[in-house]
Amino acid sequence: MTLVEFVDFSFKYLEADSLALKHINLKIDPGEYIVVTGPSGCGKTTLCRAINGLVPHFHRGYVGGHVYVDSKDTRNSEVAELATIAGLVFQDPSNQLVTLNVEKEIAFGPENLAVEPKEIRFRVEDLICRLKLEPLRDKHPHEMSGGEQQRVAMAATLALRPKILVADEPTSNLDPQSAQLILDLIADLNRQGMTVLLVEHRLDLVSNEASRLILMDKGSIVADGAPRDVLVQDLCQEIGVGIPKATQVYKQLKRRGVTLGRVPLTGKELAALVKEARQA
Amino acid sequence: MSFLEIFQYTRKDSIIHRLDPRSKMLFSVAAAAASLMFLNIIPLLIAFLCLIPIIAAAKSMKRWLRSMKGLSVLLVFIMVFNTLLSPVPNPFSHSVALTIRLVALMTSFSIFFLTVHPDQLSQALIQMHIKFEFAFAMSMAMRYVPTLAQEAYSIMDAQKARGVELDKGNPIRRIRNIIPIIVPLIIVSIRRALSIAESMESRGFGACEKRTYMDRLSFHKGDWVVMSVSIVVLVLVVYVRLFVALPEWMLWSLPL
Repeated sequence: MTLVEFVDFSFKYLEADSLALKHINLKIDPGEYIVVTGPSGCGKTTLCRAINGLVPHFHRGYVGGHVYVDSKDTRNSEVAELATIAGLVFQDPSNQLVTLNVEKEIAFGPENLAVEPKEIRFRVEDLICRLKLEPLRDKHPHEMSGGEQQRVAMAATLALRPKILVADEPTSNLDPQSAQLILDLIADLNRQGMTVLLVEHRLDLVSNEASRLILMDKGSIVADGAPRDVLVQDLCQEIGVGIPKATQVYKQLKRRGVTLGRVPLTGKELAALVKEARQA
Repeated sequence: MSFLEIFQYTRKDSIIHRLDPRSKMLFSVAAAAASLMFLNIIPLLIAFLCLIPIIAAAKSMKRWLRSMKGLSVLLVFIMVFNTLLSPVPNPFSHSVALTIRLVALMTSFSIFFLTVHPDQLSQALIQMHIKFEFAFAMSMAMRYVPTLAQEAYSIMDAQKARGVELDKGNPIRRIRNIIPIIVPLIIVSIRRALSIAESMESRGFGACEKRTYMDRLSFHKGDWVVMSVSIVVLVLVVYVRLFVALPEWMLWSLPL
């Protein structure tokens, strides 16, 4: 069963001159961990918005093709309805926190959809526990660090019990340590069965966990496959995507005539491969 | 402006904090009415002294005293000017009474604002049949005031770094200097508002006619007590003011 399916989907914002997305064909299956990357303005954000219907319902424009989310056509479904299937986490955490404390924040979504109060309370306590938000419970969003805010924003999105978590550069406003925490949390959620689509530039941090890497450029998908297969292509450097250090070393060695057993994604892997090569 | 602190919520666990905001609202109104009904020192003092134990019960004595200290300069100022300018026969006595009235008024409303979390206030409004959108707009304003203030400061810093001299020149020039702060602030705020709207939309804001609430406020025994006391006080004060002549000792005033 496919969870999300783009069928020849194109989109142009009302005020824009060129297409933000061009003939996108994409299938996302349950349980996948997809990382999307590409230079700015390549259509990553529009792709995210298309999954929960913000495009074309909130951001108006010209639409071609279809997006099916859990077999519902996003053209004919409301954002609120799609929100229970696809949960979006945005770049700037402070714009996602609209209430004065953590409990209210997590409850906000379910309250809007008229979920039973008892059930809301249950979800709030469950998420506070799972995302370790207990120390933040009574804090004003302004008193939290960016990383803490983003964790709360994530909890608030998960409170709608979505089937796929779509995170649009959730770490770009954060320091490396908080970024790592958020990415660990996403990887954890994926291990527990959540389908994830993550837009991220720091491939060093995510390509090892991801099951699939999608490269976008100028509104099109230019590469799509297992992270190792995508990252080894020269295309990455051509469009300006920063590939992991270990993969870079692998490519440099290959250019100089040393071929390692397979493409490494982390330093650890690289070290193991070098050891292997020396023994052989 | 430190005296404004008594209108700022402080997180404490006290009998007063636990009361329903609606009963506290009625109480504050009753207390304020009591001090507005009279213009003699003794009744005003009585009304005022009744409020002190309540501030103490809210565990906010220290904060209250600090604010009063901040207010004292203003109070002295009011007293002096009133004494000098007032046309009534006993100007000093009159201005002392006015000062006590001001303090009593501030104290009665501070009991409300000191102990009601903004969230509770908006929930109270919703349950008093104010539309959710309005109550939510109010709590959102409180949410984003510090964020916008921070943004204003960083814009000021950025403009200063480019050589805009904010605190120089004559008053007209200074007002003109605000323009390079205000324009970017408005633009940034509009952008932020769009992005907030996007995030609220994707969490189902406005999706259901009848939205639910995780916690609803409910009246407890204490609230009924406070409500009845407030109503009794309110009726009594109005009755006394209209139909009863105050005894001689209550009308006592300073010789000046």
